[in-house]
Amino acid sequence: MLSSLWIVPALGGIVVCFLPRGLARVGAIAVALGELALTLVVAATFDAGQHGYQYAEQASWITQFNVSYHLGVDGLSVWLLVLNALIGTVAVLATPAVWPRAAAFLGLMLLMEAGMAGVFLSVDLLLFYVFWEAMLIPAYFLLWLWGEGDRPSYAALKFVLFTLVGSLLMLVGVIGEYVFSSAHSFDLPALAAQPPSPQIQFGLFFLFAAAFAVKIPVWPFHSWLPDAYMSAPTPFLLLLAGVMGKTGAYGMLRVLLPLNPHPVNWWDWNWVLPVLAVIGIAWGALLALAQRDMKALVAYSSISHMGFIVLGIFALNAQGQEGAVVQMLNHGIIVPALFLIVAWIYARTGSRDRGVLTGLAPAMPVLAGLFLVVTMAALGLPGLNSFVGEFMTLLGAWQLSPGLAVAGCTGLILAPIYMLRLFQGAMYTEVAGGSDHPPEAVVRKDLARREVALLAPLVALMFVLGLYPYLVVHLMPALGAGMQVLRW
Amino acid sequence: MILTAGLQISYSAAQAWSDLSQIGPIVAVTVALLVAVVVDLLLPRAQRGPAVAMISIAGLVLALGIAAYRLVNGYGGSAYFRFVSGDAFALFFELLFATIGVLAVIVSSSYVRRRGLDESELHVLTLAAIVGMMSLAAAGSLVTVFLGLELLSIALYVSCGYNRKEQASQESAAKYLIIGGFASAFVLYGMALIYGATGTTVISDIATRVTSDMGGNPLLLLGVLLMGVGFAFKVSAAPFHMWTPDVYQGAPLPVTAFMSVATKAAAFAMILRVFNYGLGHIGPEWQVLLAFTAAASMVVGNLMAIVQSSIKRMLAYSGVAHAGYILVGVLAGGRAGVAAVLFYLFGYVFMNFGAFAVVSTLSTADGDGDQYEDLNGLGYRNPTLGVLMSVFMLSLAGFPPMVGFFGKVFLFAAGISTGWTWLVVLAVLTSVVSVYYYFRVLFHVWSPLPEAPARYALRPVRGPVTVVLVTGIFAIALGPLSGYLLQVGLNGAAPLLGGR
Repeated sequence: MLSSLWIVPALGGIVVCFLPRGLARVGAIAVALGELALTLVVAATFDAGQHGYQYAEQASWITQFNVSYHLGVDGLSVWLLVLNALIGTVAVLATPAVWPRAAAFLGLMLLMEAGMAGVFLSVDLLLFYVFWEAMLIPAYFLLWLWGEGDRPSYAALKFVLFTLVGSLLMLVGVIGEYVFSSAHSFDLPALAAQPPSPQIQFGLFFLFAAAFAVKIPVWPFHSWLPDAYMSAPTPFLLLLAGVMGKTGAYGMLRVLLPLNPHPVNWWDWNWVLPVLAVIGIAWGALLALAQRDMKALVAYSSISHMGFIVLGIFALNAQGQEGAVVQMLNHGIIVPALFLIVAWIYARTGSRDRGVLTGLAPAMPVLAGLFLVVTMAALGLPGLNSFVGEFMTLLGAWQLSPGLAVAGCTGLILAPIYMLRLFQGAMYTEVAGGSDHPPEAVVRKDLARREVALLAPLVALMFVLGLYPYLVVHLMPALGAGMQVLRW
Repeated sequence: MILTAGLQISYSAAQAWSDLSQIGPIVAVTVALLVAVVVDLLLPRAQRGPAVAMISIAGLVLALGIAAYRLVNGYGGSAYFRFVSGDAFALFFELLFATIGVLAVIVSSSYVRRRGLDESELHVLTLAAIVGMMSLAAAGSLVTVFLGLELLSIALYVSCGYNRKEQASQESAAKYLIIGGFASAFVLYGMALIYGATGTTVISDIATRVTSDMGGNPLLLLGVLLMGVGFAFKVSAAPFHMWTPDVYQGAPLPVTAFMSVATKAAAFAMILRVFNYGLGHIGPEWQVLLAFTAAASMVVGNLMAIVQSSIKRMLAYSGVAHAGYILVGVLAGGRAGVAAVLFYLFGYVFMNFGAFAVVSTLSTADGDGDQYEDLNGLGYRNPTLGVLMSVFMLSLAGFPPMVGFFGKVFLFAAGISTGWTWLVVLAVLTSVVSVYYYFRVLFHVWSPLPEAPARYALRPVRGPVTVVLVTGIFAIALGPLSGYLLQVGLNGAAPLLGGR
């Protein structure tokens, strides 16, 4: 059952690559929908009361090193899988009908989705790493060959090299776990049961942390993100921003903390990641304030929001970590929606400049309405989803250190400023005098029905998760079997 | 049998047959070599090339079959008074060299035709080099080691200068001859000193006589140092790598491809046999030297590869870097370390030879299309070659699920578990650098088609394309199925652990 969750998009992706242009789109949509249906079946039949991995599949793989092909889902991964499949479907559907080399593009998108599904499914450390690295290959090609802007090849290479420094250090960590844990295995539960000595854990902790921090990204490892997001084509950007960043946070909860529950050194390391997270929250928000380009604004706001996730994880208590998981889903829903809206505005007006776009709402009421909901969700309005996650992570952080929680609130204060300014400016400010873009040159067409249908599930989920977060949180008792929560 | 007193010769026919079957793969290739030489003289000029190619392939496939058969059935042991051995280690390498040989003959057969060169001599030289390599891997004595080393080197000197009309090829041959001669002299001097220190040239006897308290013996140490330098030349490990890029660039492309994988494997077989097995007890003495060369190779190879404009030279420097990675496994030693080295060498064949085979399809009568620009738009001109070139580059860069990734995992696992963590971290960081130049190839392969017609027209000839396909399939499939190859490697490593 679980194998099909990555094999379907992987094989489907390879097949789609070789289909003729017209058929490729249909094929890709069919594969993405099939994947979504499969994950929904898994999520629907998931037993909330049961701890540990469900639907587990295990087969020996490289016996000499005790590597096994071990898949499983638990409360941590099940909704992330759904998110992956959902955003994957939206991304495939959002690919315009006229698209250069569409077959290869859609095929690589599906391969990327397969890689991320594999990351969320793996219960074996080496298998996890294989998927983790393998998803970089389609990501590189998607970013480079279909990238926008002046130099997509630069952005793609920067992205790969940044990620790779972290990943390869993690490879040392992966092997280190095998060598130094008395389990002599790559199986995650076995490794978690027999962690290495605290001093060695300390070294391994930072090897893993580096990889995940680059992927999320945590300040100061974020410099690949603006380049990559700016040059990513919109459909790929949905996957990149919506799901791939989450694999890093997921890795922290799945691998980093359970495998190294008690790293010790002569200096107190516990403050490192929460402080970096808080700096990231403020830094991202401040840079978002300064952006004129709407895409860049959303990209920087993404750094800020990911900071909350890291802060929640390294609050090292149940509230913070549950909040982090909720926030992973929230962010995974909101950011794709924002990028979609930005792309649609750009397609209609030919501009993403916040200073140029004004008064679009009267011509595009539906877009304005949906944009409003997404904006409110992004800035954390109670009743919409982001509020729940941010509140829980800050609650967790408060227990760790009130100062950190207060500092983290800067993100909450700045978010309304940049988000509302963005929304208000583009949608409602009247055109005052001569603008750079004479209104008649602008195609002021409201959202097509197809586009509304694309955004509708995301907006619906913002309400569902905002009003009924229990849907996600009630699975959390099964969160990370064997995770040992530390106190500062 | 009538025997003179004192001279104890009890060499029965049964013994002769048993000895001969121990070196069965070597015999098969040698016979093919001799037949090929004769056939080359008898046939009319036009038919020589294809006939010799067929004979070479037949001999190599036979060798492959014999080696596989003996390996599967677990035959093996020493022969000719322990001067050679047909153990699993030797069989592993015989398998490896026969595979490379088949690939090389196919690629060079079509290459020489396009470049307008004579065909048959190149195949004969390739066979001779393979006989040398196989003897090297099967060596039970330092004498056999040197014999194999010279046989393979001399054959390759000639091969490098095979393109007589091209100055670069001549330069390559001369450079290789001089530097290779130096290296051989170093090795021979080292062997002489080790013989002086131990009183034997048989490696298994050296393994028992050299005990860990002999670490202070100056004769032995000097011998180890000289031999180590010579070996480092042969595997093109820094700082003894200077010849590699020039020789690789000048030599005809299939020869470069052959050298890049086969010579490296042969030299590592020699290092494993002599150092890990023969001199295993004084490991700490030579490990310092090797650790330094490994670190230097990784840094120099990866940094120098960045600035190259020729793919041949880039792959030469990348080969230096890979020698550095492989040395981690040599340093780790033990069953896991040796098996990781064997695994990596086999995997490296498919990714590196495959990459060269792709480049070889760009060759015309005018020259080799080995500049990055010559690859422009390859992915659109011929998607199969483009995709597989990407696979080779990603595998060399160590991306899963290709074989290169698993090779690195096994090497690094052996390295970390024996305490060479600093070297592994260095390997990891330098391999990030390597991604830059491997991706540069991808950049050209998938860049838009150039407006001007390509300098070298793409000739998707059947032979090289088949080689590319086969190596590509192996480079991918040996990743997920790495357990099987690793098991063969572990079996191959077993004979080296008897001495300890």
